[in-house]
Amino acid sequence: MAEYMSMNTLRFIIHEMLQVEKLCALPRYQDYDKESFDILLDSTKAYADKALFPVFKEMDEQPARFENGKVIVHPSVGQIMKDSGERGAIGSTFDYEVGGLQLPHVLHSAVTHIAQSANNSLPGYTGLTGGAANLIISFGEQSLIEKFVPKMMKGEWAGTMCLTEPQAGSSLSDITTAASPNDDGSYQIKGQKIFISGGDHEYSENFVHLVLARVDGAPLGTKGISLFVVPKFRIKEDETLEPNDVITAGDFQKMGQKGYCTTHLVFGENDNCQGWLVGTKNKGLKHMFQMMNGARIDVGLTAVSTATAAYHASLQYAKERPQGRRVESGGVKNASEEQTPIINHPDVRRMLLLQKSITEGAIALLLQASLYQDMSEAGPEEDRVRYHDLLELLTPIAKTYPSEMGRVSISNGVQVLGGYGFCTDFPLEQYYRDIRIMALYEGTTGIQSLDLLGRKVIMKNGEAMKHLTKEIIETITNAANYDDLKPYAEELKNASKQLQEVIMHLVQYAMKGEHERFIADATVFMDFMSTITIAWQWLKMATVAKTALITGNTTFETSFYENKIHTMRFFFKYELPKIHGLKVTLMRPESLTILEQDQSILA
Amino acid sequence: MKLLVCVTKTPETTAKIAFTANGTAFDTNGVQYIMNPYDEWYALVRALELKEAQGGSVCLINVGSPSNDTVIRKGLAIGADEAVRINAEPKSSLYVAKQIANYAKSEGFDIVFAGKESIDYNGSEVSAMIAELLDVPFISYASHMELEGNVATVSRDIEGGTEVVEVATPFVISAAKGLAEQRIPNMRGIMMAKRKPLKVVEPIAADDLTEAVGYELPPAKSAVKLIDPENMDELVRLLSEEAKVI
Ligand SMILES: Cc1cc2nc3c(=O)[nH]c(=O)nc-3n(C[C@H](O)[C@H](O)[C@H](O)COP(=O)(O)OP(=O)(O)OC[C@H]3O[C@@H](n4cnc5c(N)ncnc54)[C@H](O)[C@@H]3O)c2cc1C
Repeated sequence: MAEYMSMNTLRFIIHEMLQVEKLCALPRYQDYDKESFDILLDSTKAYADKALFPVFKEMDEQPARFENGKVIVHPSVGQIMKDSGERGAIGSTFDYEVGGLQLPHVLHSAVTHIAQSANNSLPGYTGLTGGAANLIISFGEQSLIEKFVPKMMKGEWAGTMCLTEPQAGSSLSDITTAASPNDDGSYQIKGQKIFISGGDHEYSENFVHLVLARVDGAPLGTKGISLFVVPKFRIKEDETLEPNDVITAGDFQKMGQKGYCTTHLVFGENDNCQGWLVGTKNKGLKHMFQMMNGARIDVGLTAVSTATAAYHASLQYAKERPQGRRVESGGVKNASEEQTPIINHPDVRRMLLLQKSITEGAIALLLQASLYQDMSEAGPEEDRVRYHDLLELLTPIAKTYPSEMGRVSISNGVQVLGGYGFCTDFPLEQYYRDIRIMALYEGTTGIQSLDLLGRKVIMKNGEAMKHLTKEIIETITNAANYDDLKPYAEELKNASKQLQEVIMHLVQYAMKGEHERFIADATVFMDFMSTITIAWQWLKMATVAKTALITGNTTFETSFYENKIHTMRFFFKYELPKIHGLKVTLMRPESLTILEQDQSILA
Repeated sequence: MKLLVCVTKTPETTAKIAFTANGTAFDTNGVQYIMNPYDEWYALVRALELKEAQGGSVCLINVGSPSNDTVIRKGLAIGADEAVRINAEPKSSLYVAKQIANYAKSEGFDIVFAGKESIDYNGSEVSAMIAELLDVPFISYASHMELEGNVATVSRDIEGGTEVVEVATPFVISAAKGLAEQRIPNMRGIMMAKRKPLKVVEPIAADDLTEAVGYELPPAKSAVKLIDPENMDELVRLLSEEAKVI
């Protein structure tokens, strides 16, 4: 079977870099130890090899579609729901009391990485189900929890998140789906939701939709949005199911992730759609953010995993494809020699190292963010807020960097294959199509960037940024203990200083009341800050690798650790210097995109 | 029904194989280990199926150092009830067989399962030796097995066909592909495994009759040669002169 991810890199990050074993000292995770984590990772890989990877291409060739009023999906969707329920994979991070296994989030993310690398169309179905169940548990009344959650965790019922409407995508404040109170405490739901992932198919007995809607008379904007649980089938007194007036109007046909259905749902067309309020009235968007934050990390994981699989496919090809000859000293080529595998050409190697540095750097960041989540929920009381702030700050980056740079990474993977990269005989073109959605759903890159600069960087008077800077400085200090890492530590120190400078510069606009100006180049800022963030992760990895080599305390071959240091150096030579150009753009006083003139400038 | 399943660890199939100490020892540096697939997928799972159908218990046994505990724990996560590790370096097949036979004798098992071979040394020796030391029947390369009362009907893959044998307990059986289907541990199983008993027993004194004096890697595979589809003559020449297959 083709390699689609590196278990050793995953183990290295989990155990040696993040030392997740330390979590087991916390009361919440005391039932775990290193061995249980290892067995979990290995068995997930075995499952992915057996059930997920083999249908990856097939799901693209037989896309989800709408036929005769029904959404048709690949039968593997039924299988993964059933298997995940049986394996305890849905809601594995939940408390024991609600049937969860209190698995640390960082392990859940590691497991997701394996599954998504094998097949990025499948794990979303179970991920959404877990996310929706978690929302009901966190904010719903006990009766709702009892009614819906157990079946969802067993994989019998599926969950979705229903935010988007035709006129309200990025701007959720404009949603119009209405909720009118019934006498029994439930609500009549009426409205349309589009682009709903996993919204309907034949393999789940029921669909539990978590729907954002407005209660009659609610204030305009985000402060008037409430959250409802709206099942496809209502549960009658005798536990049997009856239709709840949720109609599937279609399935969007897409350029990628074709196995993952994207439905158009109509609620209450016949005025017979019942929903139940989850949490507090008019606080729905705030509640939904819990699911959205988790989903953002999941999208980041899906993106990096897709790019990881593409990297491994292109690496394998590069080792096997003979083409051309190396230019020897003196600039000659010996035409009588056999052709060399393309992996030996510096330019191909550059493309491979670029992919490796982007994908491994991004996995490290995502797992780091997930570890912060664990610490924010189960760490020492006094540290929780700090870890929560770090998670909040890093979430938009952890979603966006893999989605944007993962696409660049896969594009380089396609390039490694030459013309074959463009052909359906090889999986690269599919990965390239599949990853494109990641920068769009769960908040576009534009929206993530606004969140990063306009909200997170300045939140609590820059408190979260201070925590991040402290983490970066700790990494720099550790790296500087080794002579050969010192120059890189210096570079990161300098980059971190430039980050402060740029923030100070931009914040001035906000202080002057020029808010649009402040956020106008938020996406450029995202590129700038995320490059520095990944450099931080790489220096951390390299320092851990260096320590292992020096102490001889190694789990993997020596070359494995040397490769990590080499890839860090690659990132610092080829990627990090981009921040200087980005800084010039960010600091330049000219304003060219704000609507000062009319749109004719684009003519 | 008391069932004993012998499990061993082997290098992951992608591990780079190298030797040290002048080619007399396997270089373990950087090697990741897995449970021998014949033990895990077939021997253990068939034992679990028998237990589930007829009641009883499944015990794992391994001869090795504490670093083997991860592999043993995986067996517990898949469903075995308990495990024993004999705390000794598995120096040779006979040494290992003597340790296991000694434990099996003291505890009394109805069936002792093992994989047909370990995928590293491919010796297929240990299970046969255990049967001999216990003085019970041995059925190798079992690809199917049914149990009625205390009589098992076992199919063995043989050259060009299948042999069906009957055997009464107690016996030793080595598992080949087909005996069962791989089970992947679920998360609850993984958590429960930590609480299941893993007993560590000191080895008995046992002679070691063989000694490895050297290992060699097989010659490297030559690279793929691409031949122009128009150039059939060259293909025929290579197949006949280089590959020597025609
Ligand atoms: C395959 C797929 C699956 C999906 N799954 C789900 C799902 O399960 N549930 C769900 O609720 N939704 C889902 N969505 C919807 C998705 O989240 C939205 O498409 C996304 O939020 C963007 O909204 P939009 O398409 O209306 O684009 P728009 O909001 O119209 O955005 C268009 C462009 O304008 C930019 N833009 C918009 N507003 C601003 C602003 N204020 N400042 C700067 N730039 C701005 C955007 O960044 C984007 O580049 C899915 C979408 C797809 C394609």
